[in-house]
Amino acid sequence: MFEGLALLGQSMLTFAEPRLLAYTFGATLLGILIGCMPGLSATLAISLMTTLTIRLPAGDAILILICAYVGTIYGGSRSAILLNIPGTAANAAACLDGYQLARKGQAGRAMGIATTGSVAGSLFGILCLAILTPALGEVALSFQSYEFFWLSLFGVMMSGSITGSDPLKGWIMGILGLCVALIGQDGIHAYERFAYGDPNLAGGLSLIPTLVGAFGCAEVLTVMGERFQRVRIYAVDSVLPRIADVVRYWKTVLRSGVIGVYVGILPGVGEDMAAWSSYAAAKRASKHPEEFGHGSVEGLIAAETGDNASIPGGIIPALALAIPGSAPAAVLLAAMMIHGVKPGPMLMIENPSFVYDVVAMNVYATLGILFFGLFLVRPLLKVLLVPRSIIMPIIFVLCVVGSFSIAQRLFDVWTMLGVGVAIFLLRRYGYHPAPFVLGLVLGDLMDKSLRRGLVISDGDLSPFFTRPICAVLAVIVTITLVMSIPAGNAAVRRMFRWRPNA
Amino acid sequence: MSDRGRDTGFGAFWVALGLVIVFESWRMPRLEEQGINPYTAPGLVPGLLGIILATLGVALAFRRAPLAAGPALEGQGGGVAEPWRIGLAFLLCLGFGGVALGNGPPFWLAAGLFLFLAIILFEWPEHRAAGTLRYGVTRAALVATGGAAAVTFVFQEVFLVRLP
Repeated sequence: MFEGLALLGQSMLTFAEPRLLAYTFGATLLGILIGCMPGLSATLAISLMTTLTIRLPAGDAILILICAYVGTIYGGSRSAILLNIPGTAANAAACLDGYQLARKGQAGRAMGIATTGSVAGSLFGILCLAILTPALGEVALSFQSYEFFWLSLFGVMMSGSITGSDPLKGWIMGILGLCVALIGQDGIHAYERFAYGDPNLAGGLSLIPTLVGAFGCAEVLTVMGERFQRVRIYAVDSVLPRIADVVRYWKTVLRSGVIGVYVGILPGVGEDMAAWSSYAAAKRASKHPEEFGHGSVEGLIAAETGDNASIPGGIIPALALAIPGSAPAAVLLAAMMIHGVKPGPMLMIENPSFVYDVVAMNVYATLGILFFGLFLVRPLLKVLLVPRSIIMPIIFVLCVVGSFSIAQRLFDVWTMLGVGVAIFLLRRYGYHPAPFVLGLVLGDLMDKSLRRGLVISDGDLSPFFTRPICAVLAVIVTITLVMSIPAGNAAVRRMFRWRPNA
Repeated sequence: MSDRGRDTGFGAFWVALGLVIVFESWRMPRLEEQGINPYTAPGLVPGLLGIILATLGVALAFRRAPLAAGPALEGQGGGVAEPWRIGLAFLLCLGFGGVALGNGPPFWLAAGLFLFLAIILFEWPEHRAAGTLRYGVTRAALVATGGAAAVTFVFQEVFLVRLP
């Protein structure tokens, strides 16, 4: 424990260097600005920033990405409160009460509450990140290929079940992502799968251009294809949070923090579900549930605490297991790998200081959102007035040049465009891209784990079901599948229905 | 087309894709002549995924109603989609990224033209209605010039990327 504290102290000092502080505040500000703009997600921000930071040292690049991640999720609450349009999907729950408060002339108060909730959620999540990552890493040391197979499948299935509005389409996207990840040389025999002699395909589709396509190009096409009304921003009163608001709802903050971290840790489930779950739990526990949806301070604080707590929560499995907790965490994980960091059970043995570096990065990012949230609210609101007809083409140029800059080949630009167009079309028909991203990142791990597991057991499938963790994960995956099918759901409910006369 | 019809169409597509993946996986070598364990055959996992994809496609095509679901969590852009905007966005983005880039004009020129055309064409109805076309063209030109120059400078001179 003391060793951990010493490493954390060292990391905190390392990132207090002026150059890194400038990166911290710059990236957090950029994240907030991106988050403010409806249609631009945290996943887009991180994938785009990955291309921009590809030539920086690993520590600097990952610091920038984490700050942008935290900033984007926080920034999304601005447009949720002021425009009733969530800046990112994670802020949709904040619209319900934040916008109602703004309509009552309390936009500043709402933003102050959002800042307080976000900072509190982040700090709680960071505490869990520092404590749980080494512990989970230690447990994961006993994991074999069987467990990693189930964990990767679990992540894709959970993401498919929960993101979007149709689990079946979510699973299809997850399987599609897994299939796309298998293009190119396989990880065991270096056989070129689905390459057809094309040297570009032999190396597989580059991860970052594919992610930029899925979240950057597709989002740009979506937003450019829409007509917007000119925005009207409500007057902003004082953004300094009232102490009474914070003290009165400490239980809500704590509960939402726990839910946020828990949802964050679940593979493939993102900040949006954390916000909704925290909001729903707060409503159930509230003495005034009737106020929810009509400007409830408690509802807003719950949603914002939950989504920000899930950021460090999502990083926990990414670091300890190399299984991302959400789509943005998947991109972050990919960026770490590109920069030579190897997340997974061996991380705490090979590079223990990195975990505490990530904790320190999150702490500084949280200080960044606190600073910008309290002192730079009015200038930041100007970004909401910049027409999207100007911002979107610039973002598309960055998507193109960012994809190209990684390996300096046009094939990556075509990959980005092809994936972007495909995801744009699929999104229009209810196919959510998050499971695709999870599948893309976890495909290689699942492929190797299944085949290695079969080799170890000499083709015997029983270890995949009889080892304790495998059994639990297999049951959860099966229940998730069955409960998502109406007939299966009804049958399970019938089976467990309490019959007083029975 | 109704939701049911769309699901049937997409279901057929996923079944076809899944079967193609299974077929291609089956054609992959088992590498038996190298004496390797058959469970590490390269086509094993893609073949299984192809089967799952085809099965899900069948489920999608023949289901009566969408599966039980939570709240729609997709981030909302807050706008209304218009066919001409979608068509124009495709034309400009594919024209810039897929055709112009690497096929003649230098990056700065292609990016500048893309930015100018995208900004002015998407803002055209508003500027025409407000009678501010000249202002709109000037603003688009300034943003395009500044944007293209800044992106080119940062990537070429700072990140040392040889742009197409």
